[in-house]
Amino acid sequence: MEIEEAPRQHYSDQEKGEIFNNEFLPHIHSMYNFGYRLTLDRDDAKDLVQDTYFKAFRFIESFQRGTNAKAWLFRILKNSFINDYRKKVKEPNKVDYQEVETYYNSDDVDRQITPDLRVDALKDMIGDEISNALNALDVDFRTVIILCDLEGFKYEEMAKILDIPIGTVRSRLHRARQLLKEKLSEYAKSMGYKTT
Amino acid sequence: MSHQPNPFLSSSGKKSTCMEMLQLILDGQATTEQSQYFKTHMDHCMPCFKSYQLDMSIKELLRTKCCGGDAPSELVNKIKSQIAQSI
Repeated sequence: MEIEEAPRQHYSDQEKGEIFNNEFLPHIHSMYNFGYRLTLDRDDAKDLVQDTYFKAFRFIESFQRGTNAKAWLFRILKNSFINDYRKKVKEPNKVDYQEVETYYNSDDVDRQITPDLRVDALKDMIGDEISNALNALDVDFRTVIILCDLEGFKYEEMAKILDIPIGTVRSRLHRARQLLKEKLSEYAKSMGYKTT
Repeated sequence: MSHQPNPFLSSSGKKSTCMEMLQLILDGQATTEQSQYFKTHMDHCMPCFKSYQLDMSIKELLRTKCCGGDAPSELVNKIKSQIAQSI
């Protein structure tokens, strides 16, 4: 089952409507942005969000009122993306996470801490560059950045949304940021900034 | 160097790397003691200072440039009306 385990609740129709309107719907803009950033297509994002909200309603009694609705919805959307969308449309991801983990836990990490990108180069980026750089990342790296930097989820929430340990969240996030910096560095170079 | 006790020490006594400390600070998941310690640490660690500035700028840029766009109103209305019908 794709939805977080919780003791089954019993809600009247009126309560279901209240939960849906007051706890689920306020997140629809974040959900749409998440769907768009995953699929990179506005129509697919709409389908994904719609599907997620219908699923959330269908399984509303698995949701405990007053708990973290946003994380619950994001988890459903992420699972729908993997199970229904990515299987149909995209090839499976090929990121070597073992390699990422090894890298993160090695003694070499601090040597990489100074990126060849400077703050002043970022100031001239009008938005497309950062958006394109984010969109160019592999979807699994993109996802952790969206959840953490755009949506402000904590590591523990991300671990639940993604079904991965917190250590993996942190290592994936670290690698994602390194890759994002590499992309931004390319833009900075093309804009004439010296980056080394 | 700082003489404060290191609040980043793990229970096994392992010290966190600069990058691990920076990540917790950046993501707002450090304790008050850890934040204070890192602030002092940055005074002595230029790579950390530079990375902190850069990473915070990127995070801010992501938040301001990649979050925009409301869900289309026809999508919101469609979801609302279908749910209202099924109650």
